[in-house]
Amino acid sequence: MASAGGGNNGGDVLPDIHRAGDSKTLLKSNALYQYILDTTVLPQEPPCLRELRHLTDKHELALMASPADEMQLLGMLVKMIGAKNAIEVGVFTGHSLLATALALPDDGKVVAIDRDRRCYDGVGRAAVAKAGVAHKVDFREGVALDVLDQLLAADGSEGKFDFAFVDADKANYVNYHERLLRLVRVGGLVVYDNTLWGGAVAMPPGAPMSAMDRSVSAAIKVLNAFVAADPRVEACQLPVADGVTICRRTV
Amino acid sequence: MAGTGDGAGEGKGAAGGGSLHRKTLLKSELLYQYILESAVFPREPDCLRELRLATTEHPMAVMAASPDQVQLFGLLIELLGAKNAIEVGVFTGYSLLATALALPDDGKVVAIDVSRESYDEVGAPVIDKAGVAHKVDFRVGLALPVLDQLVAEEGNKGRFDFAFVDADKVNFLNYHERLLQLVRVGGLIAYDNTLWGGSVAAAGPADDEALSERDRALAGLAREFNAAIAGDRRVQACQLAIADGVMLCRRVA
Repeated sequence: MASAGGGNNGGDVLPDIHRAGDSKTLLKSNALYQYILDTTVLPQEPPCLRELRHLTDKHELALMASPADEMQLLGMLVKMIGAKNAIEVGVFTGHSLLATALALPDDGKVVAIDRDRRCYDGVGRAAVAKAGVAHKVDFREGVALDVLDQLLAADGSEGKFDFAFVDADKANYVNYHERLLRLVRVGGLVVYDNTLWGGAVAMPPGAPMSAMDRSVSAAIKVLNAFVAADPRVEACQLPVADGVTICRRTV
Repeated sequence: MAGTGDGAGEGKGAAGGGSLHRKTLLKSELLYQYILESAVFPREPDCLRELRLATTEHPMAVMAASPDQVQLFGLLIELLGAKNAIEVGVFTGYSLLATALALPDDGKVVAIDVSRESYDEVGAPVIDKAGVAHKVDFRVGLALPVLDQLVAEEGNKGRFDFAFVDADKVNFLNYHERLLQLVRVGGLIAYDNTLWGGSVAAAGPADDEALSERDRALAGLAREFNAAIAGDRRVQACQLAIADGVMLCRRVA
């Protein structure tokens, strides 16, 4: 698709929704979001996580970063279910990986998958080591579908995991879902990031948006509809960060 | 102040002015509708839908929990493997039904409200029809004395897994002290209306002036509560901008 939306000969190109305007949140105001951060999130944020978050914000791909409130929720979920084995699909600098590792018990493990380990090696690995949780991280570099299939092929891996967090290429979310629903135990959690895509998923069909937003929000709508209809999970969509969908495997 | 039951305690006459905290906290109604239509309604059990719709007919419908909120609670209850729950503030029983549905067959929810009128009229028949009435232990009365009674009863300390408080805001911190004795370490307490329509974030006097006196007072109470929870080392807290703001507290000590 050549045009970036609007279809007007490349005159005005619509900005991607995450860069448009000054709204940093799905909530009705930045002030409300900041209030939540200031009162409940930042005071509880572990210093090592804050440090990694700041380093990540400086990265040129910082738009991929997950905010502090989402990390707090993930940590709480990991602890709530007493998770011991986790999977992370999409690592980037390792911010959510560190949040997960901190919440796991000392003998817990997180298999962290990314096709490129450079952002992690450059930024997160040192932070994870400094936080004293490097022994919990099992980094697998590779195409996520391949790595997940390899995991499945290994003996005893069906239902071995308690928790999975997916923050990766949206077009493959439904494919990751199939594999994770075998790797994660019944009663365990699979959590998806960016499932509201700046609110683009709710816009009426003709609404102007960038080509990227059009294709990504379409993929996410497919995932959302799929999950809602999937009898193997009980799911809930929260307007935290860019939209977080929490799926509990029931069958 | 009557005690539990948001309407009686917080000024029935101001029900119209309570519209502040019925709109979504999200950036658009469209987005909220999307969430409801794509993630909530398709999975909503028939009995819950029935009670939700019946509740919207009630003159004090503004007090009820929201559909996305009760869906989350159901999920949290299952994640916790909860068996024993407490509900402070019942109204028609909408969130109570959601809780009862999520609990196992031998689970119990102690439901406290200063009045059982709305419950008897609207929710009880649906809960009965849903086959979960045996899980409900309704206690009529002011919540503080009922909670104190629960604490005093043998074996109740740390017996509960989940609690939901949707009642008079001025007593939230008092309920908190009792619930921290009743709910086990690792269990969850959820508080409603903790963002009060977003008014907690009022940046200054100009914003404040746009609020009704009632909203100003309740925003103040919410801010006070949120600050106290954030500083409470006995809990790990998470503030969610769903419904009118839900503060989740996981007991850690």
